[in-house]
Amino acid sequence: MNDFVLIGKNLFRKKLRAALMLASIMIAFLIFGVLAGFQRAFNAGEDVAAADRLMVVNKINFTQPLPIAHYNRVRSIEGVRQVTHMNWFGGYYQEPKNFLVAMAVEPETYLQVYSDQVDAAADARAAFIRERTGALVGETIMKKWGWKVGDRVPVMSSIFTQKNGARTWDFTIVGTLTSRKPNIDTNFMVFQYQYFNETQNQGRDLIGWMALNTTSPSQNDRVTKAIDQMFANSFYETATDTEKAFNKAFMAQLGNIALMVALVVGAAFATILMIVGNTMVMAVRERTREIGVLKTLGFSGGRILRLVLGESVLLALLGGIPGIALAALFAAAMETSLSNFIPGFAVTPGIALTAVALMLALGLATGLVPAVNAMRLKIANALGRS
Amino acid sequence: MRSFLLQVAAVTVINIKSIPQRFWLSLSTVVAVALVVMVLLSFLAMANGFQRTLTSSGADDVAIVLRGGSQAEINSTVARDQVRLIEEAPGIARSPEGKPLVSAELYLIVDGLKRTTQTKANLPLRGIGQEGAAVRKGIRIVEGRMFQSGANEIVVGKALLREFQGFEIGKTVSFATSRWTVVGAFEAEGSVFESEIWADLPVVQSLFNRTNIVQTVRARLQSPAALDALKRYVDEDPRLKLDVKSEAAYFADQASQTSDLIHKLGWPLAIAMALGALAGALNTMYSSVAARAVEIATLRAIGFGGFPAFVGTLAESLLLAVLGGIIGVTATYLIFDGFSTATLGASFTQVVFSFKLSPALIAQGVILALAVGLAGGLFPAIRAARMPIVAGLNS
Repeated sequence: MNDFVLIGKNLFRKKLRAALMLASIMIAFLIFGVLAGFQRAFNAGEDVAAADRLMVVNKINFTQPLPIAHYNRVRSIEGVRQVTHMNWFGGYYQEPKNFLVAMAVEPETYLQVYSDQVDAAADARAAFIRERTGALVGETIMKKWGWKVGDRVPVMSSIFTQKNGARTWDFTIVGTLTSRKPNIDTNFMVFQYQYFNETQNQGRDLIGWMALNTTSPSQNDRVTKAIDQMFANSFYETATDTEKAFNKAFMAQLGNIALMVALVVGAAFATILMIVGNTMVMAVRERTREIGVLKTLGFSGGRILRLVLGESVLLALLGGIPGIALAALFAAAMETSLSNFIPGFAVTPGIALTAVALMLALGLATGLVPAVNAMRLKIANALGRS
Repeated sequence: MRSFLLQVAAVTVINIKSIPQRFWLSLSTVVAVALVVMVLLSFLAMANGFQRTLTSSGADDVAIVLRGGSQAEINSTVARDQVRLIEEAPGIARSPEGKPLVSAELYLIVDGLKRTTQTKANLPLRGIGQEGAAVRKGIRIVEGRMFQSGANEIVVGKALLREFQGFEIGKTVSFATSRWTVVGAFEAEGSVFESEIWADLPVVQSLFNRTNIVQTVRARLQSPAALDALKRYVDEDPRLKLDVKSEAAYFADQASQTSDLIHKLGWPLAIAMALGALAGALNTMYSSVAARAVEIATLRAIGFGGFPAFVGTLAESLLLAVLGGIIGVTATYLIFDGFSTATLGASFTQVVFSFKLSPALIAQGVILALAVGLAGGLFPAIRAARMPIVAGLNS
């Protein structure tokens, strides 16, 4: 009988107790996995931001427009490699609750600036640049509504109406946008700015914001200053920031998600630490005589220590691994239905690894006290106790 | 019957007196239940606080008029001639001077700095008509004064001042080429208007290059029932492709979207945690039964029934759960009740609100605690009641 068998026998000596411990550990790791996936999805915008990308928005607020003339002037600034502009469309499909992240963009430069994030087939790109009513639609949306390339889809806007009074814009899907990074969800669609600008009724030649790539991240500060100075004291002043800072500020507007996740996960772990920790102490105390016998047989204190720690670590792993697996299954099952609220909700290998590290830490923490007690136990005392 | 009750009472007392023997294990159950209750109640208090802020904003006798299909103020536009038609509509209350209590408004978003994170946040700048404050109830200037019409002056809501910086009284702020002075702060009975910045409509229109554009119209009605007359009037006029709602209905809609979402997060989390705590409670109670096996068997041997053993064990479990529940409720009240925070609302601007516990929410927390105690005590209690005497005495 090797030590591992002994550990297993000890752990499952009281099957009901072991099952209850496993259940509570499993639930704690299920909660951890789901919330960590949730938080990661929230932070995705910050994590995927390109180091050389800047966002140029109206200084009053990013919902205020800029004139398209700004675009041409920014293009000529030294250190700007490529720049594109975008308008928020406030789109939805059929009814308002099916909102669509739809943006009017300058087609050619959009595909250049965001080439690190999204991809489309060569013929789709060409068609998008060529066709006035063409749209590139993210894979996630295509799947969600069962759309196919070549379909003509009616998209409504909660902000704009057409000059002729119509509330619906018809777009021809010319291709699918696919993600080039695992944590970018393609829950959005883009269409031509020109088509939008010519048909909508709320002010001509205005753009929402610009996104640009600098020639190198080291140029960011200089380019930022150059742009904001160029438009200082004009009616349309700009505020330029890195994509990362912009996305971070936006997420902070929703609330302190990180703190909320930390508190709930903390509560879940505090619970199992106490329950499992106390149970381990009790379980080892019940075995005092046996430990005395093992010591009499020549088991060293260190070996006893390893046996008890091994037991608590095994318990944490056996409970935690199914828990994190359940969280992954849950995330996979919910991904599509949650894509509008939290695109990119998934339990990643990184989260799973963190979970395993937490399991080891939990196992060591809950096993430490009883293991040290057992190691220090004097044979005479152990056998003397009934 | 009396002796039966005495038996039950005696065993229950023995059970409860034995709790200190399993002090740490019992304590961990109490704390586990307390944490479950805290998680549940903090989510419910968040949803409740948000809902209260929004629903207290909406009055039954104020109508809000938006462009058809626009849903939120930020998306709406209303033409100048449409405003005039609404001013002449039936059912609208008038001021003592005979002017209709109608406020055409512009709703723009400007940047403020969130105090906690020092990041930019969307704050609403509302250009209100002369009757803007009179249309709403309970608007009170608490510091400084109201803006003067025609001046580049703004007043800010109290809640906004609490969570965001950049709009302190006396400060000059600039939007594009215009400069504004903050001249006062107002209260609005804790409603969402306290998260807003107000200024004179014509000034906002001209300085933001939106001359003659308004987004929404608010009208004080003669009575809540007058809403139907206004709706009919708007529906019958082809020039008015507008949606008319009571302000109460408008805000109630927005409130339910967000608070539903918080409930959908909070309840599953709390139930998952409750299952974890239940495993702990079962463990504690089975240990209790095992530790008292000799005692239970002895009592049975001298003529006690199985039922008192059942009640005693269940009572112990419920007591631990109730203790946990009380600690959870108290801790949530002390830590989270009144905690002020802000999130993005339906109009894409920050809504400041405070966590708010209520008796109904506390009851839900205590019920969850009792459910854990009941389920955690039931099976161990059955085991205690059915324990064979001989096996118990031998153990």
